[in-house]
Amino acid sequence: MTSSDAGIRIAAVGDVHMADDLRGRYAPALAELNGQADVLLVAGDLTQHGTLDEAAAFAEEFATSDVPVVAVLGNHDHHSGLEQEIAALIARTGITVLEGEGTLLDTERGRIGIAGAKGFCLGFTGRCAANFGETQMKAFTQHGIDSAGLLRHGFDALDRAEPRADVRVALTHFAPTTSTLHGEPAEIWPFLGNHLLGEVIDEAQADFAVHGHAHAGSERGTTDGGIPVRNVAQPVIRTAYRIYEIPVKVTAG
Amino acid sequence: MNTEHTNQRVEQAIANDARTNELGVRVECVEGRVLVEGEVASAERRDAVLTVVREHVPEAEIVDHLQLSDAAEPPRHAEVVERE
Repeated sequence: MTSSDAGIRIAAVGDVHMADDLRGRYAPALAELNGQADVLLVAGDLTQHGTLDEAAAFAEEFATSDVPVVAVLGNHDHHSGLEQEIAALIARTGITVLEGEGTLLDTERGRIGIAGAKGFCLGFTGRCAANFGETQMKAFTQHGIDSAGLLRHGFDALDRAEPRADVRVALTHFAPTTSTLHGEPAEIWPFLGNHLLGEVIDEAQADFAVHGHAHAGSERGTTDGGIPVRNVAQPVIRTAYRIYEIPVKVTAG
Repeated sequence: MNTEHTNQRVEQAIANDARTNELGVRVECVEGRVLVEGEVASAERRDAVLTVVREHVPEAEIVDHLQLSDAAEPPRHAEVVERE
């Protein structure tokens, strides 16, 4: 498949924490996306307290985007125990919500595949929770392990699709690397991300990964395997979204 | 109560209270004053944080160092991302 020289352009933001008090904050910038980006990714914490009213505020605000929107939920979206209802409400407005799934979009510049999952805590190599001891500790650890499994399912779904995506991207809320956590106290890194997410991204040979959650972290990093990662938490990027252009690997055919 | 314990108790309240659920706010009690630092998304959220702080340390003078998030402007340019 051949593609144009320009890469696929991904707009991304996370941690918008919408509620009624923020209505109207993003809509003007979202209305400018067409022509600037091919897709908008939202990296979790769509709401502040995980209520349906806040989910409606998010959905109405972000449905104004004139390019497709793909989102994952974050820990704030789980706070009221309404995560499934929130995902369903948002999906009804045409926004794709991923948790252990993949989605494909055909753009003028090529085909993009997005594997999405919230992710979870766990920590990073050498400073990581172990699946050992009390039931509660094992449950915490297992959820971190399972969260990486969900991201793997997302990539597996992308890899079953024909034709294959030209660009494959991981979308999570929790961080897959410590390289975008600089600025956050190292003591809380185990609550900000999970090395297994990074392993999945490396094994999938993804082209790019975006996450949120680390409000005091840094924007640019890589997985241990060298795949570019961007922390797009809004307090980090300090704009309505960032736009990243991912080169498309051109092959004859 | 030990000052460190008070700081921790108020920070936990700001994280757990349904009016706030703010995880990035830090407080420090110093000689009858309580410094409140961090970033929140709106003036309403700042007022809610200060209300929770006041309820937990009513005797202290509150020093508000909270910052409001920047307005969400669109970015000026795209970044080309390639593997190193």
